[in-house]
Amino acid sequence: MDKFTLFQFYALLKREFLEHRNLFLGAPAVLAALILVAAIWIASQLEQAEIVKGMEYLSVLFDGLSPFDMAPFFMMLAIPFMITLYICSLIYLVNTLFQDRKEMSVLFWQSMPVSNFKTVLSKVVTVVVVAPIFYVAIIFALYLVGMIWLTVLGLINGVDLVGIGWMFLAAIASLLLIYLSTFIASLWLFPTLGWLLLFSAFARKTPALWAIGVFILVGFLEDFMFGSQYLANWVESRATNPNQYLIFDFHNVLDRLFNYDMLFGLIVGSILVAGAVYMRRFID
Amino acid sequence: MTNIVEATALVKSYGNFKALDGVDLAIPSGSISGLIGPNGAGKTTTLKSLIGLCDVEGELVVAGRDPRVSRHKLMEDVCFIADVGILPKWFTVNQVIDYVEAVHPRFDRKKAEKFLSTTDIPAKKRIKNLSKGMVTQLHLAMVMSIDVKLLVLDEPTLGLDIIYRKEFYDRLLNDYYDGNRTIIISTHQVEEIETLLSHLVFINKGKIVLDSQMSDIAEIYTEVLVDADMVQQADELKPIHIRTLLGKKSYTFEAVDKAQLQELGELYTPSVADLFVAKMSEDRHG
Repeated sequence: MDKFTLFQFYALLKREFLEHRNLFLGAPAVLAALILVAAIWIASQLEQAEIVKGMEYLSVLFDGLSPFDMAPFFMMLAIPFMITLYICSLIYLVNTLFQDRKEMSVLFWQSMPVSNFKTVLSKVVTVVVVAPIFYVAIIFALYLVGMIWLTVLGLINGVDLVGIGWMFLAAIASLLLIYLSTFIASLWLFPTLGWLLLFSAFARKTPALWAIGVFILVGFLEDFMFGSQYLANWVESRATNPNQYLIFDFHNVLDRLFNYDMLFGLIVGSILVAGAVYMRRFID
Repeated sequence: MTNIVEATALVKSYGNFKALDGVDLAIPSGSISGLIGPNGAGKTTTLKSLIGLCDVEGELVVAGRDPRVSRHKLMEDVCFIADVGILPKWFTVNQVIDYVEAVHPRFDRKKAEKFLSTTDIPAKKRIKNLSKGMVTQLHLAMVMSIDVKLLVLDEPTLGLDIIYRKEFYDRLLNDYYDGNRTIIISTHQVEEIETLLSHLVFINKGKIVLDSQMSDIAEIYTEVLVDADMVQQADELKPIHIRTLLGKKSYTFEAVDKAQLQELGELYTPSVADLFVAKMSEDRHG
Protein backbone atom coordinates (compact mmCIF):
# COMPACT_ATOMS: atom_id res chain seq x y z
CA MET A 1 0.00 0.00 0.00
CA ASP A 2 1.54 3.31 -1.02
CA LYS A 3 1.69 6.48 1.03
CA PHE A 4 -1.10 8.22 -0.90
CA THR A 5 -3.51 5.29 -0.35
CA LEU A 6 -2.84 5.43 3.39
CA PHE A 7 -3.24 9.20 3.45
CA GLN A 8 -6.47 8.83 1.48
CA PHE A 9 -7.86 6.20 3.85
CA TYR A 10 -6.94 8.35 6.83
CA ALA A 11 -8.95 11.19 5.24
CA LEU A 12 -11.95 8.84 4.89
CA LEU A 13 -11.74 7.91 8.58
CA LYS A 14 -11.40 11.58 9.50
CA ARG A 15 -14.49 12.34 7.46
CA GLU A 16 -16.46 9.69 9.40
CA PHE A 17 -15.30 11.18 12.68
CA LEU A 18 -16.14 14.75 11.66
CA GLU A 19 -19.57 13.77 10.40
CA HIS A 20 -20.46 11.62 13.40
CA ARG A 21 -18.49 13.21 16.22
CA ASN A 22 -21.66 13.41 18.34
CA LEU A 23 -21.89 9.62 18.36
CA PHE A 24 -18.21 8.92 18.84
CA LEU A 25 -17.06 11.77 21.07
CA GLY A 26 -20.14 13.71 22.19
CA ALA A 27 -22.07 10.74 23.58
CA PRO A 28 -19.25 9.27 25.74
CA ALA A 29 -18.20 12.78 26.86
CA VAL A 30 -21.73 13.53 28.06
CA LEU A 31 -21.85 10.15 29.79
CA ALA A 32 -18.49 10.81 31.48
CA ALA A 33 -19.70 14.23 32.61
CA LEU A 34 -22.85 12.64 34.08
CA ILE A 35 -20.81 10.01 35.90
CA LEU A 36 -18.51 12.72 37.26
CA VAL A 37 -21.45 14.78 38.49
CA ALA A 38 -22.96 11.67 40.09
CA ALA A 39 -19.63 10.83 41.75
CA ILE A 40 -19.29 14.35 43.13
CA TRP A 41 -22.85 14.22 44.42
CA ILE A 42 -22.29 10.85 46.10
CA ALA A 43 -19.03 12.10 47.63
CA SER A 44 -20.80 15.20 48.93
CA GLN A 45 -23.32 12.97 50.72
CA LEU A 46 -20.60 11.02 52.52
CA GLU A 47 -18.61 11.98 55.60
CA GLN A 48 -14.96 12.70 54.79
CA ALA A 49 -13.94 10.00 57.28
CA GLU A 50 -15.95 7.42 55.33
CA ILE A 51 -14.24 8.38 52.06
CA VAL A 52 -10.82 8.18 53.67
CA LYS A 53 -11.73 4.75 55.08
CA GLY A 54 -12.78 3.60 51.63
CA MET A 55 -9.58 4.90 50.11
CA GLU A 56 -7.48 3.14 52.69
CA TYR A 57 -9.34 -0.10 51.92
CA LEU A 58 -8.72 0.29 48.16
CA SER A 59 -5.09 1.24 48.75
CA VAL A 60 -4.50 -1.99 50.68
CA LEU A 61 -6.55 -4.05 48.19
CA PHE A 62 -4.53 -3.01 45.11
CA ASP A 63 -1.10 -2.58 46.69
CA GLY A 64 1.50 -4.64 44.86
CA LEU A 65 -0.97 -6.67 42.78
CA SER A 66 -0.54 -7.04 39.02
CA PRO A 67 -2.57 -4.34 37.24
CA PHE A 68 -3.51 -6.92 34.62
CA ASP A 69 -4.96 -9.26 37.24
CA MET A 70 -6.86 -6.41 38.87
CA ALA A 71 -8.07 -4.81 35.63
CA PRO A 72 -11.44 -6.69 35.57
CA PHE A 73 -12.34 -4.78 38.73
CA PHE A 74 -12.87 -1.73 36.53
CA MET A 75 -14.79 -3.47 33.77
CA MET A 76 -18.10 -2.90 35.50
CA LEU A 77 -17.49 0.85 35.53
CA ALA A 78 -17.05 0.73 31.77
CA ILE A 79 -20.31 -1.09 31.00
CA PRO A 80 -22.41 2.11 30.54
CA PHE A 81 -19.80 3.30 28.06
CA MET A 82 -19.84 0.04 26.17
CA ILE A 83 -23.64 0.00 25.98
CA THR A 84 -23.54 3.60 24.69
CA LEU A 85 -20.92 2.62 22.13
CA TYR A 86 -23.01 -0.30 20.84
CA ILE A 87 -26.15 1.82 20.56
CA CYS A 88 -24.25 4.65 18.82
CA SER A 89 -22.62 2.14 16.46
CA LEU A 90 -26.02 0.74 15.47
CA ILE A 91 -27.37 4.24 14.80
CA TYR A 92 -24.24 5.05 12.81
CA LEU A 93 -24.29 1.89 10.70
CA VAL A 94 -27.93 2.13 9.72
CA ASN A 95 -27.63 5.80 8.72
CA THR A 96 -24.15 6.20 7.34
CA LEU A 97 -24.73 5.11 3.72
CA PHE A 98 -28.27 6.53 3.76
CA GLN A 99 -27.65 10.03 5.11
CA ASP A 100 -25.47 11.29 2.25
CA ARG A 101 -27.93 9.99 -0.33
CA LYS A 102 -30.72 11.77 1.50
CA GLU A 103 -28.94 15.12 1.56
CA MET A 104 -27.53 14.55 -1.97
CA SER A 105 -23.93 15.05 -0.86
CA VAL A 106 -23.41 11.53 -2.24
CA LEU A 107 -22.87 13.22 -5.62
CA PHE A 108 -19.89 15.01 -4.14
CA TRP A 109 -18.46 11.91 -2.45
CA GLN A 110 -18.93 9.89 -5.63
CA SER A 111 -17.28 12.59 -7.72
CA MET A 112 -14.02 11.91 -5.91
CA PRO A 113 -11.67 9.11 -6.99
CA VAL A 114 -12.52 6.92 -4.00
CA SER A 115 -13.86 3.43 -4.62
CA ASN A 116 -17.09 2.29 -3.00
CA PHE A 117 -15.13 -0.53 -1.41
CA LYS A 118 -12.84 1.94 0.36
CA THR A 119 -15.81 4.08 1.41
CA VAL A 120 -17.64 1.14 2.96
CA LEU A 121 -14.41 -0.23 4.44
CA SER A 122 -13.79 3.13 6.14
CA LYS A 123 -17.17 2.76 7.82
CA VAL A 124 -16.41 -0.77 9.00
CA VAL A 125 -13.01 0.30 10.35
CA THR A 126 -14.65 3.29 12.06
CA VAL A 127 -16.97 1.02 14.02
CA VAL A 128 -14.62 -1.85 14.73
CA VAL A 129 -11.33 -0.04 15.31
CA VAL A 130 -11.68 3.75 15.63
CA ALA A 131 -14.85 4.40 17.66
CA PRO A 132 -13.67 2.26 20.64
CA ILE A 133 -10.45 4.32 20.75
CA PHE A 134 -12.46 7.48 21.43
CA TYR A 135 -14.55 5.75 24.07
CA VAL A 136 -11.44 4.39 25.77
CA ALA A 137 -9.86 7.85 25.63
CA ILE A 138 -12.89 9.39 27.34
CA ILE A 139 -12.86 6.66 30.00
CA PHE A 140 -9.16 7.35 30.49
CA ALA A 141 -9.90 11.07 30.98
CA LEU A 142 -12.56 10.16 33.52
CA TYR A 143 -10.17 7.89 35.42
CA LEU A 144 -7.52 10.61 35.32
CA VAL A 145 -9.87 13.14 36.89
CA GLY A 146 -10.84 10.55 39.53
CA MET A 147 -7.20 9.77 40.19
CA ILE A 148 -6.25 13.43 40.65
CA TRP A 149 -9.19 13.85 43.00
CA LEU A 150 -8.20 10.80 45.07
CA THR A 151 -4.55 11.90 45.15
CA VAL A 152 -5.47 15.32 46.51
CA LEU A 153 -7.82 13.73 49.06
CA GLY A 154 -5.14 11.22 50.01
CA LEU A 155 -2.50 13.90 50.46
CA ILE A 156 -4.80 15.95 52.68
CA ASN A 157 -5.81 12.97 54.80
CA GLY A 158 -2.51 11.11 54.92
CA VAL A 159 -3.61 7.97 53.04
CA ASP A 160 -0.85 5.73 51.65
CA LEU A 161 -0.81 6.70 47.95
CA VAL A 162 1.28 3.79 46.72
CA GLY A 163 -1.74 1.45 46.78
CA ILE A 164 -3.82 4.12 45.01
CA GLY A 165 -1.07 4.29 42.38
CA TRP A 166 -1.40 0.51 41.84
CA MET A 167 -5.15 0.97 41.53
CA PHE A 168 -4.62 3.57 38.82
CA LEU A 169 -2.35 1.16 36.95
CA ALA A 170 -5.12 -1.48 37.12
CA ALA A 171 -7.56 1.11 35.77
CA ILE A 172 -5.18 1.82 32.88
CA ALA A 173 -4.82 -1.93 32.19
CA SER A 174 -8.62 -2.20 32.14
CA LEU A 175 -8.67 0.23 29.21
CA LEU A 176 -6.94 -2.43 27.14
CA LEU A 177 -9.54 -4.98 28.24
CA ILE A 178 -12.34 -2.56 27.35
CA TYR A 179 -10.81 -1.97 23.93
CA LEU A 180 -10.37 -5.66 23.28
CA SER A 181 -13.93 -6.34 24.46
CA THR A 182 -15.46 -3.78 22.13
CA PHE A 183 -13.20 -4.84 19.25
CA ILE A 184 -14.07 -8.50 19.63
CA ALA A 185 -17.76 -7.73 20.19
CA SER A 186 -17.87 -5.77 16.91
CA LEU A 187 -16.28 -8.69 15.09
CA TRP A 188 -18.71 -11.06 16.78
CA LEU A 189 -21.57 -8.81 15.64
CA PHE A 190 -20.17 -8.56 12.12
CA PRO A 191 -23.31 -10.06 10.54
CA THR A 192 -25.38 -7.32 12.23
CA LEU A 193 -22.90 -4.73 11.03
CA GLY A 194 -23.15 -6.02 7.45
CA TRP A 195 -26.94 -6.27 7.60
CA LEU A 196 -27.32 -2.66 8.73
CA LEU A 197 -24.84 -1.35 6.14
CA LEU A 198 -26.68 -3.27 3.44
CA PHE A 199 -29.98 -1.57 4.20
CA SER A 200 -28.27 1.75 4.79
CA ALA A 201 -26.99 1.51 1.22
CA PHE A 202 -30.27 0.16 -0.16
CA ALA A 203 -33.21 1.93 1.47
CA ARG A 204 -34.64 5.11 -0.03
CA LYS A 205 -36.40 5.89 3.22
CA THR A 206 -36.24 4.67 6.83
CA PRO A 207 -33.31 2.22 6.58
CA ALA A 208 -33.79 1.08 10.19
CA LEU A 209 -37.34 -0.01 9.43
CA TRP A 210 -36.13 -1.90 6.36
CA ALA A 211 -33.37 -3.64 8.28
CA ILE A 212 -35.70 -4.79 11.05
CA GLY A 213 -38.67 -5.44 8.78
CA VAL A 214 -36.83 -7.62 6.28
CA PHE A 215 -35.21 -9.60 9.10
CA ILE A 216 -38.61 -10.32 10.65
CA LEU A 217 -40.03 -11.18 7.23
CA VAL A 218 -37.22 -13.62 6.43
CA GLY A 219 -37.63 -15.27 9.85
CA PHE A 220 -41.37 -15.49 9.33
CA LEU A 221 -40.97 -16.94 5.82
CA GLU A 222 -38.57 -19.57 7.11
CA ASP A 223 -41.04 -20.56 9.79
CA PHE A 224 -43.93 -20.52 7.32
CA MET A 225 -42.22 -22.47 4.54
CA PHE A 226 -40.02 -24.92 6.43
CA GLY A 227 -41.48 -24.84 9.92
CA SER A 228 -38.01 -24.15 11.27
CA GLN A 229 -36.49 -21.25 13.21
CA TYR A 230 -32.80 -21.61 12.35
CA LEU A 231 -32.33 -17.92 11.63
CA ALA A 232 -34.02 -16.73 14.81
CA ASN A 233 -32.18 -19.30 16.91
CA TRP A 234 -28.82 -18.48 15.35
CA VAL A 235 -29.26 -14.77 15.98
CA GLU A 236 -30.51 -15.40 19.51
CA SER A 237 -27.60 -17.67 20.35
CA ARG A 238 -25.14 -15.04 19.14
CA ALA A 239 -26.90 -12.06 20.70
CA THR A 240 -27.55 -13.43 24.16
CA ASN A 241 -24.08 -14.62 25.02
CA PRO A 242 -22.55 -11.98 27.35
CA ASN A 243 -19.16 -13.71 27.13
CA GLN A 244 -18.84 -12.27 23.67
CA TYR A 245 -19.28 -8.70 24.82
CA LEU A 246 -17.20 -8.56 27.96
CA ILE A 247 -13.75 -9.96 28.49
CA PHE A 248 -12.58 -10.20 32.06
CA ASP A 249 -9.38 -12.09 31.44
CA PHE A 250 -6.60 -11.35 28.98
CA HIS A 251 -6.09 -15.09 28.53
CA ASN A 252 -9.50 -15.40 26.87
CA VAL A 253 -8.73 -13.02 24.03
CA LEU A 254 -7.27 -15.53 21.59
CA ASP A 255 -10.05 -18.08 22.25
CA ARG A 256 -12.67 -15.45 21.54
CA LEU A 257 -10.99 -14.35 18.35
CA PHE A 258 -10.16 -17.68 16.83
CA ASN A 259 -13.07 -20.09 16.78
CA TYR A 260 -15.41 -21.43 14.12
CA ASP A 261 -18.44 -19.46 15.33
CA MET A 262 -16.47 -16.24 14.99
CA LEU A 263 -15.17 -17.24 11.56
CA PHE A 264 -18.64 -18.14 10.32
CA GLY A 265 -20.04 -14.81 11.52
CA LEU A 266 -17.20 -12.95 9.82
CA ILE A 267 -17.90 -14.73 6.54
CA VAL A 268 -21.65 -13.97 6.69
CA GLY A 269 -20.91 -10.36 7.68
CA SER A 270 -18.37 -9.96 4.87
CA ILE A 271 -20.88 -11.17 2.30
CA LEU A 272 -23.38 -8.60 3.59
CA VAL A 273 -20.74 -5.85 3.52
CA ALA A 274 -19.93 -6.82 -0.07
CA GLY A 275 -23.66 -6.44 -0.78
CA ALA A 276 -23.52 -2.92 0.68
CA VAL A 277 -20.56 -2.08 -1.59
CA TYR A 278 -22.54 -3.36 -4.57
CA MET A 279 -25.65 -1.36 -3.58
CA ARG A 280 -23.52 1.74 -3.23
CA ARG A 281 -22.39 1.56 -6.86
CA PHE A 282 -25.46 3.16 -8.35
CA ILE A 283 -27.21 5.76 -6.29
CA ASP A 284 -30.47 6.05 -8.17
CA MET B 1 -10.49 15.13 -33.39
CA THR B 2 -10.90 12.34 -30.85
CA ASN B 3 -13.95 12.04 -28.68
CA ILE B 4 -13.70 12.03 -24.91
CA VAL B 5 -17.22 10.65 -24.62
CA GLU B 6 -18.56 7.91 -26.90
CA ALA B 7 -22.02 6.63 -26.08
CA THR B 8 -24.14 4.35 -28.21
CA ALA B 9 -27.75 3.37 -27.62
CA LEU B 10 -27.90 4.30 -23.95
CA VAL B 11 -31.12 3.16 -22.33
CA LYS B 12 -32.22 3.76 -18.77
CA SER B 13 -35.69 2.78 -17.58
CA TYR B 14 -37.46 3.47 -14.32
CA GLY B 15 -40.36 1.03 -14.48
CA ASN B 16 -42.25 1.91 -17.65
CA PHE B 17 -40.65 5.33 -17.92
CA LYS B 18 -37.65 5.56 -20.22
CA ALA B 19 -35.37 8.31 -18.91
CA LEU B 20 -32.92 7.54 -21.72
CA ASP B 21 -34.32 6.02 -24.87
CA GLY B 22 -31.39 5.12 -27.11
CA VAL B 23 -29.04 8.04 -26.58
CA ASP B 24 -26.10 8.28 -29.00
CA LEU B 25 -23.56 10.88 -27.99
CA ALA B 26 -20.07 11.84 -29.09
CA ILE B 27 -18.37 14.71 -27.27
CA PRO B 28 -15.17 15.92 -28.96
CA SER B 29 -12.09 16.36 -26.75
CA GLY B 30 -11.35 20.00 -26.06
CA SER B 31 -14.89 21.15 -26.72
CA ILE B 32 -17.27 23.10 -24.55
CA SER B 33 -20.44 21.13 -25.09
CA GLY B 34 -23.90 22.17 -24.04
CA LEU B 35 -26.46 19.50 -23.21
CA ILE B 36 -29.70 21.41 -23.47
CA GLY B 37 -33.16 20.12 -22.74
CA PRO B 38 -36.35 20.94 -20.88
CA ASN B 39 -36.91 19.71 -17.33
CA GLY B 40 -37.17 15.93 -17.20
CA ALA B 41 -35.61 15.48 -20.66
CA GLY B 42 -32.88 13.12 -19.40
CA LYS B 43 -30.01 15.58 -18.93
CA THR B 44 -29.13 14.56 -15.39
CA THR B 45 -29.51 10.85 -16.16
CA THR B 46 -27.16 11.23 -19.13
CA LEU B 47 -24.55 13.09 -17.08
CA LYS B 48 -24.83 10.68 -14.16
CA SER B 49 -24.28 7.82 -16.60
CA LEU B 50 -21.09 9.47 -17.84
CA ILE B 51 -19.59 9.39 -14.35
CA GLY B 52 -20.79 5.93 -13.38
CA LEU B 53 -23.58 6.94 -11.03
CA CYS B 54 -26.33 5.40 -13.09
CA ASP B 55 -26.65 1.80 -14.20
CA VAL B 56 -27.34 2.42 -17.84
CA GLU B 57 -27.57 -0.07 -20.73
CA GLY B 58 -25.61 0.46 -23.94
CA GLU B 59 -22.04 1.14 -24.95
CA LEU B 60 -20.26 3.87 -23.05
CA VAL B 61 -16.64 5.01 -22.97
CA VAL B 62 -15.57 8.14 -21.10
CA ALA B 63 -11.91 9.21 -21.10
CA GLY B 64 -10.98 5.71 -22.21
CA ARG B 65 -12.89 3.90 -19.46
CA ASP B 66 -16.28 2.33 -18.86
CA PRO B 67 -17.71 4.43 -16.00
CA ARG B 68 -19.87 1.53 -14.82
CA VAL B 69 -16.81 -0.58 -14.12
CA SER B 70 -14.19 1.85 -12.86
CA ARG B 71 -15.87 5.00 -11.56
CA HIS B 72 -13.22 5.77 -8.98
CA LYS B 73 -10.40 5.49 -11.52
CA LEU B 74 -12.38 7.58 -13.99
CA MET B 75 -12.87 10.30 -11.40
CA GLU B 76 -9.14 10.98 -11.43
CA ASP B 77 -9.73 12.39 -14.93
CA VAL B 78 -13.25 13.79 -14.52
CA CYS B 79 -14.76 16.39 -12.21
CA PHE B 80 -18.44 16.89 -11.57
CA ILE B 81 -20.64 19.65 -10.18
CA ALA B 82 -24.36 19.09 -9.85
CA ASP B 83 -26.74 21.91 -9.02
CA VAL B 84 -25.85 23.81 -5.88
CA GLY B 85 -25.87 22.28 -2.46
CA ILE B 86 -24.22 18.92 -2.93
CA LEU B 87 -21.20 19.73 -0.79
CA PRO B 88 -21.70 18.09 2.62
CA LYS B 89 -23.39 20.66 4.83
CA TRP B 90 -21.48 19.77 7.99
CA PHE B 91 -18.04 20.29 6.42
CA THR B 92 -16.26 23.60 6.98
CA VAL B 93 -14.60 25.26 4.00
CA ASN B 94 -11.16 24.22 5.28
CA GLN B 95 -12.31 20.63 5.81
CA VAL B 96 -13.50 20.44 2.18
CA ILE B 97 -10.05 21.55 1.02
CA ASP B 98 -8.32 19.09 3.38
CA TYR B 99 -10.51 16.24 2.20
CA VAL B 100 -10.11 16.85 -1.52
CA GLU B 101 -6.36 17.33 -1.07
CA ALA B 102 -6.14 13.97 0.69
CA VAL B 103 -8.24 11.93 -1.73
CA HIS B 104 -7.52 13.51 -5.12
CA PRO B 105 -4.03 13.02 -6.57
CA ARG B 106 -4.45 15.91 -9.02
CA PHE B 107 -5.62 18.59 -6.60
CA ASP B 108 -3.50 21.71 -6.20
CA ARG B 109 -4.16 23.24 -2.79
CA LYS B 110 -2.34 26.49 -3.53
CA LYS B 111 -4.49 27.07 -6.58
CA ALA B 112 -7.68 26.49 -4.58
CA GLU B 113 -6.57 28.86 -1.84
CA LYS B 114 -5.70 31.47 -4.45
CA PHE B 115 -9.15 31.18 -6.04
CA LEU B 116 -10.84 31.37 -2.65
CA SER B 117 -8.82 34.42 -1.63
CA THR B 118 -10.57 36.33 -4.40
CA THR B 119 -13.97 35.54 -2.85
CA ASP B 120 -15.64 36.48 0.43
CA ILE B 121 -15.91 32.86 1.57
CA PRO B 122 -14.79 32.53 5.22
CA ALA B 123 -12.49 29.48 5.61
CA LYS B 124 -13.82 28.41 8.98
CA LYS B 125 -17.53 28.54 8.21
CA ARG B 126 -19.62 25.44 7.70
CA ILE B 127 -21.12 24.85 4.26
CA LYS B 128 -24.65 25.06 5.71
CA ASN B 129 -23.94 28.64 6.78
CA LEU B 130 -22.81 29.78 3.32
CA SER B 131 -25.13 31.30 0.75
CA LYS B 132 -26.02 29.27 -2.34
CA GLY B 133 -23.76 31.45 -4.43
CA MET B 134 -20.82 30.92 -2.09
CA VAL B 135 -21.28 27.14 -2.09
CA THR B 136 -21.11 27.15 -5.88
CA GLN B 137 -18.07 29.46 -5.84
CA LEU B 138 -16.39 27.09 -3.42
CA HIS B 139 -17.22 24.02 -5.46
CA LEU B 140 -15.99 25.71 -8.63
CA ALA B 141 -12.76 26.74 -6.88
CA MET B 142 -12.24 23.11 -5.87
CA VAL B 143 -12.76 21.61 -9.33
CA MET B 144 -10.77 24.37 -11.04
CA SER B 145 -7.84 23.35 -8.86
CA ILE B 146 -8.01 19.75 -10.04
CA ASP B 147 -6.18 18.98 -13.25
CA VAL B 148 -8.63 16.76 -15.15
CA LYS B 149 -9.53 16.06 -18.76
CA LEU B 150 -13.28 16.45 -18.44
CA LEU B 151 -15.48 18.69 -16.33
CA VAL B 152 -19.17 17.79 -16.13
CA LEU B 153 -21.54 20.50 -14.92
CA ASP B 154 -25.17 19.62 -14.28
CA GLU B 155 -27.26 22.80 -14.01
CA PRO B 156 -24.37 24.39 -12.12
CA THR B 157 -25.93 27.82 -11.69
CA LEU B 158 -29.47 26.79 -10.80
CA GLY B 159 -30.95 29.07 -8.16
CA LEU B 160 -28.15 31.65 -8.33
CA ASP B 161 -28.61 35.34 -9.00
CA ILE B 162 -27.34 36.87 -12.23
CA ILE B 163 -24.09 38.21 -10.71
CA TYR B 164 -22.98 34.80 -9.43
CA ARG B 165 -24.09 33.13 -12.67
CA LYS B 166 -22.11 35.50 -14.81
CA GLU B 167 -19.04 35.23 -12.59
CA PHE B 168 -19.28 31.44 -12.66
CA TYR B 169 -19.04 31.24 -16.43
CA ASP B 170 -16.49 34.06 -16.68
CA ARG B 171 -14.17 32.21 -14.31
CA LEU B 172 -14.70 28.93 -16.07
CA LEU B 173 -13.76 30.42 -19.40
CA ASN B 174 -10.94 32.72 -18.31
CA ASP B 175 -9.25 30.78 -15.49
CA TYR B 176 -9.96 27.17 -16.35
CA TYR B 177 -10.64 26.38 -19.98
CA ASP B 178 -7.40 26.01 -21.90
CA GLY B 179 -8.50 24.37 -25.14
CA ASN B 180 -7.33 20.91 -24.06
CA ARG B 181 -9.88 20.27 -21.38
CA THR B 182 -13.43 19.33 -22.23
CA ILE B 183 -16.42 20.85 -20.47
CA ILE B 184 -19.96 19.51 -20.67
CA ILE B 185 -22.64 21.82 -19.32
CA SER B 186 -26.26 20.83 -18.97
CA THR B 187 -28.87 23.52 -18.51
CA HIS B 188 -32.31 24.58 -19.56
CA GLN B 189 -31.27 28.23 -19.49
CA VAL B 190 -29.94 28.31 -23.02
CA GLU B 191 -29.17 32.03 -23.37
CA GLU B 192 -26.66 31.92 -20.56
CA ILE B 193 -24.18 29.58 -22.16
CA GLU B 194 -24.90 30.13 -25.83
CA THR B 195 -21.75 32.20 -26.43
CA LEU B 196 -19.46 29.72 -24.64
CA LEU B 197 -20.32 26.62 -26.60
CA SER B 198 -18.39 24.97 -29.38
CA HIS B 199 -20.67 21.94 -29.53
CA LEU B 200 -24.41 21.71 -29.07
CA VAL B 201 -26.61 18.79 -28.07
CA PHE B 202 -30.37 18.95 -27.54
CA ILE B 203 -32.10 16.22 -25.62
CA ASN B 204 -35.81 15.67 -25.20
CA LYS B 205 -37.81 12.76 -23.77
CA GLY B 206 -34.67 10.68 -23.43
CA LYS B 207 -33.62 11.12 -27.04
CA ILE B 208 -30.97 13.29 -28.70
CA VAL B 209 -32.77 15.65 -31.08
CA LEU B 210 -29.77 17.69 -32.18
CA ASP B 211 -26.02 17.04 -32.09
CA SER B 212 -23.87 19.52 -33.95
CA GLN B 213 -20.75 21.69 -33.90
CA MET B 214 -21.71 25.29 -33.23
CA SER B 215 -19.85 26.25 -36.40
CA ASP B 216 -22.18 24.00 -38.41
CA ILE B 217 -25.39 25.42 -36.97
CA ALA B 218 -25.38 28.41 -39.32
CA GLU B 219 -24.89 26.03 -42.25
CA ILE B 220 -27.70 23.69 -41.34
CA TYR B 221 -30.35 25.91 -39.78
CA THR B 222 -31.81 29.02 -41.27
CA GLU B 223 -34.51 31.32 -39.99
CA VAL B 224 -36.46 33.22 -42.61
CA LEU B 225 -38.71 36.22 -42.03
CA VAL B 226 -41.08 35.21 -44.78
CA ASP B 227 -42.75 37.85 -46.95
CA ALA B 228 -46.54 37.64 -46.77
CA ASP B 229 -46.92 36.54 -50.40
CA MET B 230 -44.35 33.74 -50.03
CA VAL B 231 -46.02 31.86 -47.15
CA GLN B 232 -47.34 29.05 -49.31
CA GLN B 233 -43.95 28.39 -50.88
CA ALA B 234 -42.35 28.46 -47.45
CA ASP B 235 -44.84 25.89 -46.14
CA GLU B 236 -43.93 23.57 -48.98
CA LEU B 237 -40.27 23.50 -47.92
CA LYS B 238 -41.27 21.79 -44.65
CA PRO B 239 -40.11 24.19 -41.93
CA ILE B 240 -39.38 22.69 -38.52
CA HIS B 241 -40.93 25.65 -36.72
CA ILE B 242 -43.07 28.67 -37.48
CA ARG B 243 -43.55 31.66 -35.20
CA THR B 244 -44.99 35.13 -35.55
CA LEU B 245 -42.53 37.97 -35.27
CA LEU B 246 -43.46 41.66 -35.58
CA GLY B 247 -46.57 40.76 -37.50
CA LYS B 248 -44.58 38.61 -39.94
CA LYS B 249 -44.15 34.87 -39.97
CA SER B 250 -40.72 33.53 -39.14
CA TYR B 251 -39.88 30.04 -40.44
CA THR B 252 -37.03 27.85 -39.25
CA PHE B 253 -35.61 25.37 -41.77
CA GLU B 254 -33.24 22.47 -41.35
CA ALA B 255 -30.85 21.51 -44.15
CA VAL B 256 -32.64 23.46 -46.87
CA ASP B 257 -30.58 25.16 -49.56
CA LYS B 258 -30.02 28.84 -48.66
CA ALA B 259 -30.32 29.95 -52.28
CA GLN B 260 -33.82 28.53 -52.30
CA LEU B 261 -34.69 30.23 -49.02
CA GLN B 262 -33.37 33.61 -50.08
CA GLU B 263 -36.37 34.02 -52.36
CA LEU B 264 -38.76 33.73 -49.42
CA GLY B 265 -37.51 36.70 -47.43
CA GLU B 266 -34.78 37.91 -45.07
CA LEU B 267 -32.40 35.17 -43.77
CA TYR B 268 -31.02 34.85 -40.24
CA THR B 269 -29.05 32.29 -38.26
CA PRO B 270 -31.38 31.27 -35.45
CA SER B 271 -30.14 31.83 -31.89
CA VAL B 272 -29.62 28.68 -29.82
CA ALA B 273 -32.69 29.62 -27.78
CA ASP B 274 -34.87 29.92 -30.91
CA LEU B 275 -33.43 26.74 -32.33
CA PHE B 276 -34.15 25.01 -29.05
CA VAL B 277 -37.79 26.09 -29.11
CA ALA B 278 -38.00 25.03 -32.78
CA LYS B 279 -36.56 21.57 -32.15
CA MET B 280 -38.65 20.99 -29.04
CA SER B 281 -41.89 21.96 -30.78
CA GLU B 282 -40.93 19.84 -33.80
CA ASP B 283 -40.43 16.95 -31.40
CA ARG B 284 -43.77 17.65 -29.74
CA HIS B 285 -45.71 17.85 -32.98
CA GLY B 286 -43.85 14.88 -34.42
